[in-house]
Amino acid sequence: MKTMYGHRFQSVEEIQEEFEKGGYICSKEIATCLYIAFNLQKPMMVEGPAGVGKTEMAKTAAEILGVPLIRLQCYEGLDESKALYEWKYGKQLLYTQLLKEKLNDFMGDAETMEESMAVLHSKEDLFFSEDFLEPRPLFKALKEKAGCVLLIDEVDKSDHEFEAFLLEILSEFQVSIPEIGTLSADIKPFVFLTSNNNREMSDALKRRCLHLNVPYPDPEIERRILNSRVPELKENLQKNLVDFIHQIREMDLKKSPSISETIDWARVLVLLNAEQLDKEFVETTLNTVLKFEDDIEAVNEQLEGLLENMNSPKK
Amino acid sequence: MQAVLEDFLKAVRSHDITVSSAESIEAGHTLELIGFENREILKYALSATLAKNVEERESFSKCFDGFFSFESFKEREQEADEQKQIKKELEEYQGDSELVKLMLAKDQVALSNKMKTAAREVGITDIWFFTQKGIYSQKIMKEMGSGEIGDEIAALSGGTCPTAAAQANRLRQVRKGLQSEVQNFVEQQLAIYGANTNKRLREEFLTNARLSNIERRDFHRMHEIVRKMAKRLSDTYAKKRKQTQRGQLDFRKTMRKNVAYDGVPFETFWRTKNVDKPKIVAVCDVSGSVSDYSRFLLLFLYSLKDVLSRIDSFAFSGSLVEVNEIFEDYAVEQAIEVALKEGGGGSTDYGQTFEDLKRDRLENPNNLMNIDNKTSVIILGDARNNYGDPRTDILKLVYQRAKRVIWLNPEPRISWNTGDSEMDKYRPYCHLVSECSTIKQLELMIDDLLKVSFA
Repeated sequence: MKTMYGHRFQSVEEIQEEFEKGGYICSKEIATCLYIAFNLQKPMMVEGPAGVGKTEMAKTAAEILGVPLIRLQCYEGLDESKALYEWKYGKQLLYTQLLKEKLNDFMGDAETMEESMAVLHSKEDLFFSEDFLEPRPLFKALKEKAGCVLLIDEVDKSDHEFEAFLLEILSEFQVSIPEIGTLSADIKPFVFLTSNNNREMSDALKRRCLHLNVPYPDPEIERRILNSRVPELKENLQKNLVDFIHQIREMDLKKSPSISETIDWARVLVLLNAEQLDKEFVETTLNTVLKFEDDIEAVNEQLEGLLENMNSPKK
Repeated sequence: MQAVLEDFLKAVRSHDITVSSAESIEAGHTLELIGFENREILKYALSATLAKNVEERESFSKCFDGFFSFESFKEREQEADEQKQIKKELEEYQGDSELVKLMLAKDQVALSNKMKTAAREVGITDIWFFTQKGIYSQKIMKEMGSGEIGDEIAALSGGTCPTAAAQANRLRQVRKGLQSEVQNFVEQQLAIYGANTNKRLREEFLTNARLSNIERRDFHRMHEIVRKMAKRLSDTYAKKRKQTQRGQLDFRKTMRKNVAYDGVPFETFWRTKNVDKPKIVAVCDVSGSVSDYSRFLLLFLYSLKDVLSRIDSFAFSGSLVEVNEIFEDYAVEQAIEVALKEGGGGSTDYGQTFEDLKRDRLENPNNLMNIDNKTSVIILGDARNNYGDPRTDILKLVYQRAKRVIWLNPEPRISWNTGDSEMDKYRPYCHLVSECSTIKQLELMIDDLLKVSFA
């Protein structure tokens, strides 16, 4: 099996640079993990709270490698027919109906039962060919000629059965379809799995992957992310915003704001032409960052203190 | 490189991280790719290949830092007169021990390497217990050549020549310095390779110890063990919420989904049955003799919250006290202490307790609170009723209503029914009566309970 990434990147720093060009700022830890994953061609299991850019990482990787991104969203009850392939029953049925009238023609001179069966046998493969196959994400990923980035999102939401099925794909990158035969990838897809730790994955799956935990970024990196995503934002505002968000993350909230929320909020600031992060502005737009009524209330209560700290941060 | 990696993996394993042979190959590839030059990147890289969750990542980080710290024979800047001193000492020294020369020259790098080679030679990575420290230090010293020093000292101190005596003293000092370095080193190695042996032994002991014998200082360890057990059970049973009933077609759903195919049932759907999470009513004796057992039962049950739909807990000795609210107000560990206090006091009275249970959970005006066929009742007690009326009639009622009645008796089977124990009178009205004196037995019992509930 050929690979598309062999020696594509020479060093960890190169990865950091390339990803930054693609608009994804990654810490050294993330870059190191990507570097090994590229070079050893191992799937990468990315964990971390929602909205820290797990999915974005895969998208950027696809962009940099210049291959399509194929995404498989996992959920409870996801099975092979939704993930790998399915027969187009409707089309098969329709074609049979249409062919019914032609039946006499092509059965033509078959006299006996045995002869008719033989004729049928020679034709039956028609209905179980790729024309009647509905490809699903995993199938597509294996068929992709130039390789691809395969993102298996929220794998912890899937069932145990599906996890076992994934194992086969991830180790061999081939599947067998009884009616057609074995399908194997020409070029090994580069696989990202993301998980929110809803449940422990099995040891067998863990063993096959590299593990990366993406936490909330430190202020420095978060500022750089804002810089690349919302360049219109003024610098002093950017600093204030990051400080404020980091303070909120320290609080005991149901859902702490993550990077995607920070970016949203920055966009709101730009859109509303805000000059500074004052009390009124925060009160009216806090719902972009916090998604629970209780959380908003909790922050509102301490708002003044938070804003004060932000202007004179204790170091 | 190979040898270092092998040692490192051994250290990682001793930090409670499982490393399969496939993973060690993977680690080898990673090392080849990254090299030793950049310690930070190497740490991230190996962590990604070896550590599989947050806890493992943490202990990996600790292990990595310990393993790759080189503290022995710290290098120091040598000043001019110090160098002169060294030169003089080297000239004075007349023996031919390589080791002494190195020590006198203060050649830290060479000494450190020599010690590491010696350590590998004597198999330091097998060190497990602190009691082995002495023997390993001795072995390493010997391997490094301390024997020669001993011989030379013996030879020098034999005569009466003052220079020889001074030289012997100097050598003794050298040997002492070496000794303390080696001891330090062995200490570090023990921290790396034996990190978890003690912990593991202790855990094994605690798992099988009688719960009443466990001392207060081990409680936090017990809590950890219970949490681990509970997590394992939750993982096993959390997913079994829906069960396919094979053989029963869900006709309506099948028709609806197959309208597209002209009503020809290409895709079939089968009836599923939702498995309800079990409800638990726990009745715990908290009188002096049994309270330790109740503590761990409650801890276990409340650690299993994910797989239980409701835990309804009572404490009793003289009469029954509902303790649910306490568990809502406090953290589990604290709540248990409070609950044990609330229910305690007075001599054990099973008759009164059952009377109260009947009032609260059989004839409660709010029917939802009552025991029904989804409820499992766990009674923990020694059945020592102080010769009072056992009120088996009420237990019989509970038995008829509940899904399961389980009686856990912390006493050894042999002392059941002796003295005021009424175990035999209660036994016919329980689905399961079992001895439960260690945490292991408790785990087996709860596993069984969940198995039946989710079957």
